[in-house]
Amino acid sequence: MYNIVVCFKQILDIDQMKIDEKTQEPITKNLPYRLEDLSKNAIEEAVRIKEKYGGKVIGITFGGDQATLGMKEALAMGVDEGIIIKGYKENNPELTSEVLAKKISTLKYDIIITGNASADSYTGLVPGKLARKLNIPILGNAIKLELHENTARITRSMEDVNYVVESRLPVLITVEQEINEPRLPPLIQIMAAGRKPMKIEEMQIQIQSSKKVISNKAPKSDRKRIIFEDIDKGVEEVSKFLRSEVK
Amino acid sequence: MRAMVFSEKGELAAQIATILRERYEIDIYTTSDSPLDSYGAKVVFRITGESLYVDNISNFLADRFKEKGYDFIAIGSSVMGREIASILSELLHLEAITEIMKLEEGNQVFITERFFFGGKTVIREESKARIFTFLPGLVDPIPVDSRSSKEEIKIDSPSTVNVVEKIEKPKGSVNLEKADIIVSAGRGIGKKEGLGIIQQLADIIHGEVGGSRPVCLDYHWLSEERQVGLSGKRVKPKIYIAVGISGQVQHIAGMRGSKTVIAINKDKNAPIFNECDYGIVGDLYTVIPKLIENLKK
Repeated sequence: MYNIVVCFKQILDIDQMKIDEKTQEPITKNLPYRLEDLSKNAIEEAVRIKEKYGGKVIGITFGGDQATLGMKEALAMGVDEGIIIKGYKENNPELTSEVLAKKISTLKYDIIITGNASADSYTGLVPGKLARKLNIPILGNAIKLELHENTARITRSMEDVNYVVESRLPVLITVEQEINEPRLPPLIQIMAAGRKPMKIEEMQIQIQSSKKVISNKAPKSDRKRIIFEDIDKGVEEVSKFLRSEVK
Repeated sequence: MRAMVFSEKGELAAQIATILRERYEIDIYTTSDSPLDSYGAKVVFRITGESLYVDNISNFLADRFKEKGYDFIAIGSSVMGREIASILSELLHLEAITEIMKLEEGNQVFITERFFFGGKTVIREESKARIFTFLPGLVDPIPVDSRSSKEEIKIDSPSTVNVVEKIEKPKGSVNLEKADIIVSAGRGIGKKEGLGIIQQLADIIHGEVGGSRPVCLDYHWLSEERQVGLSGKRVKPKIYIAVGISGQVQHIAGMRGSKTVIAINKDKNAPIFNECDYGIVGDLYTVIPKLIENLKK
């Protein structure tokens, strides 16, 4: 039986994000939120541990107004209890890690699971900071996870090589996409998720980041954008170009 | 100002040294065996130890940072590098900014640039951060005439994590980051056999075959080392041909450095057509054979 905490995040749906052609800035208004990609893998892995070894999964998200939807999805995937901490405004790993650490330190936990980095900001700072604040080891970038009594063992995927590493519990584990295929909960589970316990909490922590955004714009693309809808014409021109460039 | 450079990858440490050495006095710390004494560092410290992991390396670097009074830390952005940056940020109570591609100095602040929103935008920020991880491949390492002094340091404190086994990844021989021409296949090829004509095209123009995230990681039609994208390889060939790739931000971010981009896709609204120099709207199974035939002439 393991007490598992999974931390996850909702993000703006960046795949649907458009760029304002005048300002080159992203248009975030009316853009829907979705569960972040690796967050789904983290939730899936937490639920699989519970299913394989027994235990309980608590889901925690530090979020804004839209967090309830993401939490419901997590509950539908098999998380047992949800805790939403309100107050997320912007990417600030200092604050996020502090909020999560404060909350998690009040819970009983053997394993904390998070994504390795989030698809929107991709800082990858929160897991390491959180592990440090809780003074527990971090097993990072897992593509495989096994538990043996009081030990967690993962396959850690690095750029050129993999390592099998293990540590005593409690431990924080970050997951990579390859670790699993997140389930799509059937409608009935989504409905049932509404009956699972979900707490919404506030936390009084003020941590200002020293970061000030100077600009956040689409990188200048000076591509020619010569598009051929006539295939033969296109093949002709592209071949000509390739022949001139490739010896 | 004095900078502490760390990377477990020799190549990456040499790249960062090349970027910073004109402006700052630097020392390199590395666990790599590569000779790094010709990249303009004052001292190259080689870290050795029985059980090296992110925890004891971070503890060591934090102590060093304080002891030697460095002004900031520049780390190679990798799985390990980002973890070390995050732990150092706690140990030293300093903010960290990861995955940067530019570092400038402002008035009492650093100005950084990094991708945001999955690569859709570049965010330029000023901050009091003192820990940075640098994206790989920003520059080619350039040696200098002078030589750094060298020192070896052994970390004796054990890690709380036990490294059980090292597993080499199945190695092809491909190094996409250095390729001049890349033909990349996306989900649009529909089946693994579709790679046949992709390879044929690549062969004719002496290119390497790459792939999008779904093709490499979800379907495993190509090995992981061929994945182009924010979370895969970031490539900058002279010619990049995207075949059946819609152009999700995470892919674009991995190939933005390409000199000329050619896109082939049957969906004329695919975002890839906004990021290409030449585009052909059409079914790849019609377009590619015609292209091959034409090039063979």
